[in-house]
Amino acid sequence: MTMLVALPILLPLLAAGLSLVLGRFATLQRLLGVVVFTANAVLAVVLLAEADKSGPVVLQLGGWDAPVGITLVADRLSALLMLISMVVMLAVLVYSIGQRITDYGRSTSSTAFHPMYLVLGAGVSMAYLTGDLFNLFVAFEIMLGASYVLITRRTTATRVRAGMTYTIVSLTSSLLFITMIALVYAATGTVNLADLSGKVEALPVGVQSAMALMMIVVFGIKSAMVPLHFWLPDSYPTAPAPVTAVFAGLLTKVGVYALIRTQTLVFDHGESWTLLLWFSVITMIIGALGAIAQNDLNRLLSFLLVSHIGYMLFGLALYDVTGLAGAILYVVHHITVQATLFLVSGLLTRHTGTVALRGMGGLAKLYPAIALLFAIPALNLAGIPPFSGFVAKLALLEAGAEVGTTMAYVATGAAVLTSFLTLYAMAKVWVFAFWGKSKPPHPDPDPTDELIIGTGSTSRTMVSATSALVVFGVLIAVFAGPLSEISTRAATDLLDGGPYRTAVLGEEAE
Amino acid sequence: MLLLVTAHLVLAALLPTVSRWLGRWAFAVGAILPAVSLGWALTSLTEVLAGGTVDESVAWAPVLGLTFTLRLDILSLLMIFLVSGVGVLILCYCVYYFKPDAQSNSRTSALLVAFAGAMLGLVLADDLFTLYIFWELTTVCSFLLVGQDGNTKQQRRSSIQALLVTVLGGLSMLLGFVLLGEQAGTYRISEIVASPPAAGALTSTALVLILLGAFTKSAQVPFHTWLPGAMVAPTPVSAYLHAASMVKAGVYLVARLSPAFSDHTPWWPLIATLGIWTMLIGGYRALFERDLKTLLAYGTVSQLGFLMVLMGAGSHTVAMAGATMLIAHGLFKSTLFLVVGIIDHQAGTRNIDELSGIRRRFPVLTVIGAIGALSMAGIPPLFGFLGKEAAFEGFLESGTTGDLVVLVGLVLGSALTAAYSFRFLWGAFGTKPGVEDSSAPKPSLGLMVPAAVPAALTLLLGVVASLFNALATTYAEPYPAGDHPYYLALWHGFSLPLLLSAVVVASGVGLHLARDRVVRLGGWLPDFLQAQPGYERTVAGLDTVSYAVTGRFQAGSLPTYLAIILLTFVLVPGSAVLTGGSMPEELRLWDSAVQVPVAILVLTAAIAVTMAKRRMTAVILTGVVGYGIGAFFVLDGGPDLALAQFLVETLTLVAFVFVLRRLPSRFTQVESTRSPRWPKVAVSVAAGALVAVSALVFSGARQAPPEASEGFVEAAPEGAHANNVVNAILVDFRAFDTVGEISVLAVAATGVASLILATRRARRPSAAEETEGPRKSREVRK
Amino acid sequence: MSEGPPRSQPSGEKKRRTSLWEEWDTPQEHWLLVGSHRDGRERSLLLEVAARIIFPTVLVLSLYLLFAGHNRSGGGFSGGLVAGQAFVVRYLAGGPMEVRAAVGLRPPVIIGAGLSLAVLTGLAPIFWGEAPLTSAYVSMTLPVLGDVHVVSSLFLDMGVYLLIVGVVCDLLRTLGAGIEEQSPRPRRRPSG
Repeated sequence: MTMLVALPILLPLLAAGLSLVLGRFATLQRLLGVVVFTANAVLAVVLLAEADKSGPVVLQLGGWDAPVGITLVADRLSALLMLISMVVMLAVLVYSIGQRITDYGRSTSSTAFHPMYLVLGAGVSMAYLTGDLFNLFVAFEIMLGASYVLITRRTTATRVRAGMTYTIVSLTSSLLFITMIALVYAATGTVNLADLSGKVEALPVGVQSAMALMMIVVFGIKSAMVPLHFWLPDSYPTAPAPVTAVFAGLLTKVGVYALIRTQTLVFDHGESWTLLLWFSVITMIIGALGAIAQNDLNRLLSFLLVSHIGYMLFGLALYDVTGLAGAILYVVHHITVQATLFLVSGLLTRHTGTVALRGMGGLAKLYPAIALLFAIPALNLAGIPPFSGFVAKLALLEAGAEVGTTMAYVATGAAVLTSFLTLYAMAKVWVFAFWGKSKPPHPDPDPTDELIIGTGSTSRTMVSATSALVVFGVLIAVFAGPLSEISTRAATDLLDGGPYRTAVLGEEAE
Repeated sequence: MLLLVTAHLVLAALLPTVSRWLGRWAFAVGAILPAVSLGWALTSLTEVLAGGTVDESVAWAPVLGLTFTLRLDILSLLMIFLVSGVGVLILCYCVYYFKPDAQSNSRTSALLVAFAGAMLGLVLADDLFTLYIFWELTTVCSFLLVGQDGNTKQQRRSSIQALLVTVLGGLSMLLGFVLLGEQAGTYRISEIVASPPAAGALTSTALVLILLGAFTKSAQVPFHTWLPGAMVAPTPVSAYLHAASMVKAGVYLVARLSPAFSDHTPWWPLIATLGIWTMLIGGYRALFERDLKTLLAYGTVSQLGFLMVLMGAGSHTVAMAGATMLIAHGLFKSTLFLVVGIIDHQAGTRNIDELSGIRRRFPVLTVIGAIGALSMAGIPPLFGFLGKEAAFEGFLESGTTGDLVVLVGLVLGSALTAAYSFRFLWGAFGTKPGVEDSSAPKPSLGLMVPAAVPAALTLLLGVVASLFNALATTYAEPYPAGDHPYYLALWHGFSLPLLLSAVVVASGVGLHLARDRVVRLGGWLPDFLQAQPGYERTVAGLDTVSYAVTGRFQAGSLPTYLAIILLTFVLVPGSAVLTGGSMPEELRLWDSAVQVPVAILVLTAAIAVTMAKRRMTAVILTGVVGYGIGAFFVLDGGPDLALAQFLVETLTLVAFVFVLRRLPSRFTQVESTRSPRWPKVAVSVAAGALVAVSALVFSGARQAPPEASEGFVEAAPEGAHANNVVNAILVDFRAFDTVGEISVLAVAATGVASLILATRRARRPSAAEETEGPRKSREVRK
Repeated sequence: MSEGPPRSQPSGEKKRRTSLWEEWDTPQEHWLLVGSHRDGRERSLLLEVAARIIFPTVLVLSLYLLFAGHNRSGGGFSGGLVAGQAFVVRYLAGGPMEVRAAVGLRPPVIIGAGLSLAVLTGLAPIFWGEAPLTSAYVSMTLPVLGDVHVVSSLFLDMGVYLLIVGVVCDLLRTLGAGIEEQSPRPRRRPSG
């Protein structure tokens, strides 16, 4: 059973290597990708069941005990987030395959896409499963490296510049991350997360808070917390739809996960954290305001992504069981919904040939199926019941009211206001794109460009992949009961690091 | 009960398919479930009148307090009469109202049935969140029904306005619910009402937030302007949503919570003030309208104010009046809307100025319309009169000044109501000089019957006053009754309420006859106080703020972004390091003297990089920095590290040179366009200095020797079978990291290939190419 | 670099100072000229002969580094990088066709093979019931070579070696040859 923990990482890496070797055989590459991600999703389910039943599943790699070797840990939080991520990656992969077959025919292979996608999947799994800070850095490197390639692939000269913005900002964040690791190691002599939690307590308070704040900044860049978010709206919209869907759904949430994991396991803040609450408030509001100001559909969705990261930070900052459980629920909900919205946006822009909202119109009558596929996740994101957005948002509001400090109430109010602003932004999209007179589609401006594709054709594969994700999102709402219970259990575990530490370090850990 | 609600939603999902076969009869199919609900409600009538309730509970996410709890009591029952009863009528009416082959029929029927289900769930909800869920569902249905296809600007604007205003209220209501539940310790409405939480700042805030939701939904001033705007929807939709059911949701909520909270500080003053004001404004505006539907819309606004006051008052007689007016309003408003729909359908216009002679052409219709309008005006022996009498009696009872002020407001409002009722009658059925008499075709029976049924009920319930008495009394039970509880009757003797009613009718007639003078007086309210421009300015302001904030911050410049990131890094953790950290006690400047020249070399090269004018120089200097670091490794005793560092540095130099061959030799930024460098220098120096200081502080803070390093040295020879500890770490202890990092290398190579070999990529067979073949050659060069 | 002959020294005092500041890093001679390809352009005899001698030697050195890494300085990274440098020298001497001739497989295939080998080495211990990436130690006596000790992490190192060789060859293929093919070749007169 413990062996299974390494598989979600090693299998995609192996498949990536094989995919590179099989660069000329498109069908084999596609098959490999689909099989591996399905296997990963199944593994995640198994790990989640096991972790929920008997506590964290721990694997010491190489047979070395912590802190000499690297530890992989699958607890409730990791397994749950990995499950959602793998499902989303699978759906986006199918969408992407469908898009490529539609555009270029069945036999065209791509040397870059499938290996990079698999490496990205390996990186995401590694980030969720690792129990070691340096390994987390390596996971980020893997994810980011693959994302650099995916975002600059098949792009135009003007848009590669935005890809470079993303690359350079991410490289800076990696630089700060490794600096931070070096400082942590200098102060404590270990990079194992469970071990750190014991050793950090012995440090002077100033050093502890400096360390915690450094982690906030580093992971804040990755999770697009304001004021570290500027790179996201400039770069995400420039990638093709499936790539943006995966980035938006997964990469930022890995940053949020890293924040949650480090701030709960390594540090113990005691009560709600005012500084982080402030950050969450400005993230929520500025992101939502940014979305309202946009005419580009993908930029609008990117700003909403930034805004809703604020919700998760809000849950974390409350630092109690209900708050953390709400944050976890929100992560689960948001991964799915944001990826779905970007996929739908991809479907739309294929028909309209433009991403400008004012260039679209009347799509509800022309493509009612896509309109429905948009409406459900849009309402979901805006927190309209009975979808998962409402459930997660409610959990956060209840947590905020429970904590009861003035700052918590301010943040709760900001959360409600952001919900309203999100609805306004979604309503704008609906009114401009789906209502009104239909505008003639813009012709395919550049046949080599992967972002604006005005060919007017969407294959059944693409639509089914998107619909499957929409249904998955609805299922999250239907199973809100079990999900909220698992989240609460996960949150309790997080705040009380005992089970994790004992599982990793053995019984002598206190 | 939950089954019934769900069945509505399932049927709604199926209706589009059904309507493809049955056409407009899909509406009739849709009417089945509301009819079933109505029947079920009627069968439960006796039980509820005896004081019993029907409860049901289904857990969804109990950890979060999300449980579907439904409960049938007298208030729900009354509302079901409106929701399902009127629903059946409306759906049958739709069969004949809409064009048989209209494309929108499938959508309209589905949305109407979904809406009926959502309203049913709303009025049955016994849990705060259940109520909220159905509340927002009705908002969504309303948005889609008002907007239809969104073809006209008016449709889009009105639907957005309705959406924004009601959602704003809905969200504040949700927050209020959360706070209230937190205070009360439970989310079940019946339990909260039975033992309400103590008065306090939090409870009052919660109540104000909840009232905000109620006010937006029920179109109270200043949120009322969405209702007249929503009249762009087809008439049956307006009749159902915006007259009979959805707008009553706010009133319903107030009625639901009043038994517990009517004596809390913010409750009654807020409701009374806004309610009376709404009644007056709505009535006043209705006097100017030329479109019959908008006239009725303002009338609805006014009546909703009236209902708010009645439901929120918290006394026995007034509660009875509230129950009566609730049903009465539902009945006469649906009648009137349906009549207007018939007129519009047959004559093609709703404008007062264009209608004439309807009275002679459609006598039956006139009678129906007259019953409705007179009930609205409060003329005996119609049902509306009973309610009004009860209302006046209720506020006369206590004799307090507050109540008397309210009474004056009600009387004024009722006078306006009477006036616009007469205006309606005159406008719809009167004979206008100079206008041609209508020659519209006769309306079908299918249209007339649904309009006639509520009218008949209005007459019946008015004449046989005691029919409704039991219901009203049961509803008013939570309030203390006093010795002589009120009962509904047409004749109570020569009492003050009767006098007031007479005054009301007389003033109404007077106002209507003097209509020309009144019309001229209108429109004097200064612009900034008017609600509709207020809404528009708020929305425009929101857009402006968004543009301003985003434009200011999202600069699009990479150096700015990096500067902000580094600045945050310096300020946030930096302040913690500087305030909380302390330097280590033993600080050596260097370990061996050779380190000094190497350090000077590295620093000089680093500074020189920023001053380099040619790309090649910058690359070489960066290489010098790298080799210098390698030299440090050698001096510190890490030959493997130094070896790897030198090799990698050489390789990257080679890679750079390959690329630099093709670029201009100098950095190409023109001096004049470059922003001043000193901020960038300052930020980077600050960041670098912070890292250096942190390195000192953190290494000085170490408490114990590094466990991991010792473990490596210890385990390498026997465990990893290696004498080279570094290699053992790389391929054994931390082999996982190595596997990860080589993947990154593979990724890097692939990425470079993908960027550079881009022009050889495949092209989509887009339609444009067939006509523009020669463009290909130009594309390749990119 | 396509720039003209070096600038002559300016005459006046003031001109020299500004020129020094502007040109302090201008090289005084040309180096690494592009355009000296095998296909009809300049060839450097010295470079080609030297490359022929150096190439196999450097490769042997890289293999030594690979095998010796576990107990002395070296390892997969260093070995792979040194092998890569050998290919760089060959490319400098002979151009893109040289690289293609030296390595028969497409570089992505080599990269993929290296990565797969490394990961398979990591996965293999599972079949023996151990945690992934556990190293095994095999000690045997071979007829000619005598006592041979093999640690399974050597295979991981070999995967790393292969991958780095593949990466360097890929960089040569793209950065080196790809950029050249893409841009229009400058018509240069042979430099004297």
